[in-house]
Amino acid sequence: MIEAEGLTKRYGAKTAVDGVTFTVQPGKVTGFLGPNGAGKSTTMRMIVGLDRPTAGRVTVNGKPYAAHRRPLAEVGALLDAKAVHTGRSARNHLLAMAATHGIPTTRVDEVIDLTGLHAVASKRVGGFSLGMGQRLGIAAALLGDPRTLILDEPVNGLDPEGVLWVRNIAKYLASEGRTVFLSSHLMSEVALTADHVIVIGRGRILADAPVQEIVDGAERKLVRVRSPQATELAELLTVNGAEVDGVEPGLLEVRGSTAVAVGELAAASRIVLHELTPVASTLEEAYMSLTADAVEYRSEDITGADGQAQDGVDEGQLAGDLEGNKA
Amino acid sequence: MSATVTAPAGGNESAPAPARRSRVRNVTFPRILRSEWIKLWTLRSTWWTLGSTVVIMAGFALMMAVVVQFLNDQMADVEMAAEDQASMDAVLGAPTVIAGGYEFAALVVGVLGAMVITGEYSTGMIRSTFAANPGRLGAFTAKATVLAAVTAVLTSVSLLLGWLVSYPILNANDMTLDWSDGEAVRKLYGVVIYTVLVALFALGIGTLLRHTAGAIFTVVAVFLVIPFIFQIVVAFASSLDWVLTVNKFLPSVAGSAITPNGAQVPEVLDPWVGIGVLGAYTAIVLIAGAIRLKAQDA
Repeated sequence: MIEAEGLTKRYGAKTAVDGVTFTVQPGKVTGFLGPNGAGKSTTMRMIVGLDRPTAGRVTVNGKPYAAHRRPLAEVGALLDAKAVHTGRSARNHLLAMAATHGIPTTRVDEVIDLTGLHAVASKRVGGFSLGMGQRLGIAAALLGDPRTLILDEPVNGLDPEGVLWVRNIAKYLASEGRTVFLSSHLMSEVALTADHVIVIGRGRILADAPVQEIVDGAERKLVRVRSPQATELAELLTVNGAEVDGVEPGLLEVRGSTAVAVGELAAASRIVLHELTPVASTLEEAYMSLTADAVEYRSEDITGADGQAQDGVDEGQLAGDLEGNKA
Repeated sequence: MSATVTAPAGGNESAPAPARRSRVRNVTFPRILRSEWIKLWTLRSTWWTLGSTVVIMAGFALMMAVVVQFLNDQMADVEMAAEDQASMDAVLGAPTVIAGGYEFAALVVGVLGAMVITGEYSTGMIRSTFAANPGRLGAFTAKATVLAAVTAVLTSVSLLLGWLVSYPILNANDMTLDWSDGEAVRKLYGVVIYTVLVALFALGIGTLLRHTAGAIFTVVAVFLVIPFIFQIVVAFASSLDWVLTVNKFLPSVAGSAITPNGAQVPEVLDPWVGIGVLGAYTAIVLIAGAIRLKAQDA
């Protein structure tokens, strides 16, 4: 269980995390979703005490991380794959970490086998691929058999088999009653892995709900209709209480109705349809609509504030995508 | 990535199970020490630096012994006044020969001391270290302890080797180390204290700067470049009191007062005062480093 209360981190004038309050429950996988620079990593680093919060507090399993006497048994964290001395072998790295908690060598070999590092365990970490570094980070996180796992972008750099492995292990660990908190900027990844999702944008929590609820709640359920008589159909649908957007000549997006109703209405009025597609909402769309405000606000920021250009570019692109969807 | 890793299904032997939690014990200082011990010896740079320290110390001892032999051969015919002989012994006695390379050895050990911490900052390892010891100061103290102990043992072993390799020549010249001569023996263990303090000083600098090149540059500047410059200044301006005063309070000059080199410097602090001054510098740098380590984001 992770509990954050008014957690804030400022770097000079820039507020990376802006008074976030959330709880990550045990027994399920909680996704932590947000665009690059939204404050995901900073939040996770504050949870394990690497960064000091400017304000607010965060506890893990009831205590601040630093107050635990066996921190590695409470929290296993993969914060980034590059938290290992490049000159040391994978196994020696794990042995040194294990020594702090009196963890036996057998457990070190166990996590090496579990993460598929056996063949490279005695090689120096400097030569590792991103994927192998990621596996070593996960091995280190599992070392203390922790009740809570914090994984920052765990599938980053993994091959498809590795991605699947991370998904399965996250679900498995949660099914054992552990707390699993996993960040990603890929909505599809969170949709496949997480039960619950916390969406963060510009350092603020935008949503905190079960994945399904967010998908259902998104106002993106619509029917796409292509017809040579689009104008006629649009009038008809509006009269019948639906909301219609003309996407391009001959293409309509209809809200507040169903494909069945649109089809029947068109047939009754002898209107020709070339396409009739119910467009299901995806978490990605939900995410886009959730982050839209934050993104647009930030886009305006770019001109005024310097030093945020990198974030601005990323989110500017998101905003662009969003515009494309709406146009 | 040839190994196929499937998700641990129920009952999988290698899956982490809550029942096993008892195998994880509390973090204690001895355990952190053990971790730092493992970390030190699992890096090649440690073997390189420590290996070259031994080679440098033993090599210089042998070289100095050869120099002694050469000088004695040259002066065999010259009748030397008793007091000249005494001052000659002070400058080039057995401790000087045995510990001949200690200044270079101290620099190499300083490089190790700096890298013990900067290597962690530059690779990101420090985050793993702090994740395991979120109090941070335990890890820092353990690092300092391991570094000091290893440096002390290594310098002692190097001195012993230096004594061994120079013994035949020194013996032939009737110059062997007199173990009952308190001052001569003090000069040798003074070298041990000096190298340990240089290693710790470098650790403190490394913790403050968090950057390998910057830390090594600083250590070399403090223990080699600045004293070298002052040597020249003192040679040309020894009439200026403040030059001599500053010179004797330089970390390297003050610290060297306890070593065989102490006798060679024109104006020098009392051996124990001198090493105390170096100890104070080291303590200041270590404390400043610890404060930064504790307070700043990793």
